[in-house]
Amino acid sequence: MGMASTRRFASLLIVLVLAGCARHDAERAQVSGGAGPPIQPVTAQEILARVRAPGARATLVNVWATWCAPCREEFPGLLSVARGRARDGLRVMLISADFEDQLPAVRTFLAARAVSDTAYLKTGDEMQFINTLSPEWSGALPATFVYDGGGRLVAFWEGMADEARFQGAVDQAIAAIHSQGDARP
Amino acid sequence: MNPMRLLVFSLGLASAALVPASSGAGQDPDPSPQAEGPFSIGQPAPMQDVRMKSVSGTDISISEAAGTKGTLVIFTCNHCPWAKMWQGRIAAIGNAAMRRGIGVLAVNSNDPAAYAEDSFDEMKARAKKLGFKFPYVVDATSDVARAFGATHTPEAYLLDAQGNLVYHGGVDDNAREEKAVKAAWLRDAVDAVVTGKPIPLAETKAMGCSIKFHEKGSS
Repeated sequence: MGMASTRRFASLLIVLVLAGCARHDAERAQVSGGAGPPIQPVTAQEILARVRAPGARATLVNVWATWCAPCREEFPGLLSVARGRARDGLRVMLISADFEDQLPAVRTFLAARAVSDTAYLKTGDEMQFINTLSPEWSGALPATFVYDGGGRLVAFWEGMADEARFQGAVDQAIAAIHSQGDARP
Repeated sequence: MNPMRLLVFSLGLASAALVPASSGAGQDPDPSPQAEGPFSIGQPAPMQDVRMKSVSGTDISISEAAGTKGTLVIFTCNHCPWAKMWQGRIAAIGNAAMRRGIGVLAVNSNDPAAYAEDSFDEMKARAKKLGFKFPYVVDATSDVARAFGATHTPEAYLLDAQGNLVYHGGVDDNAREEKAVKAAWLRDAVDAVVTGKPIPLAETKAMGCSIKFHEKGSS
């Protein structure tokens, strides 16, 4: 086997391995096999990395669970703001605190509300998860964190909110980056 | 980070909204915190003399429930899935604490108008089913929860013999699987109080259901 064909073989191998990983992850994510968004496991560190990544003028992180009544109740208001402000650069991260074996319920819930963007499933040590997102967070659900485009936390609360509260916090976050004169594209 | 996750992450970034916005007016979100803390480690518990209706039929206050070595006040309720996952352990830890000189009071501060399962009759049934050897009481105005700064269920406050806070937080680090618990925070804290040793971890956190507070000024 010549050098060139060895390289080709190696490339093919990498592609096959990647495809294998992809299929494995996709299977893991598509538990119900039905409609619904892809759902990725996420640690608090990964959430904060995503929040700080460029590409949004504000990020709203909502931690919820299918079995949490106030979480379900506030969802329509949250989604209304998410959809209304998406074109203004709002990025929304829905973080389910359900257990992994409840992924089908999470997917069904999100599919029923026409959520199609990637959603997330909390993973890792719970106390660390809570404290990394905010030392002020007691662990009560739902919990909402709103960051400006620079990844700075501008609003946090726990418990249910109405649409006006989500809207106000998002407006504040978008305005925050404006006032600093470094609005992102 | 595995390659697939990196790929999904990158795609997520690429698909993030990039359209510039018109200005959004700054507006303060309504802070309206329910908890009125701060009640922190080392401080005396508030509202120790407020009597609350117990499932046993008699009213009882925190100071009346106090044991010779300390008092465990645990905010919990019937409906919350997290409280349900921990309720067997709450019963076991509470009953064991009672035998060792720690008074125990389980407090339901939820407005039963929000969750029928949290009604007084349902509380009586639950306490009986779980074999609580301690009072399960109604915080009918949610004022005790407000004064403690409690936000969710279950949430535990352990007081020493003087009524000062020595532990605040969750039951343990695994709601779902008791067998997989690595840190039995509350049990260890009770142990420490009974044996006069320092509390291993005085403040912990676990997820739970937001307390559905009664409207302020309700009776």
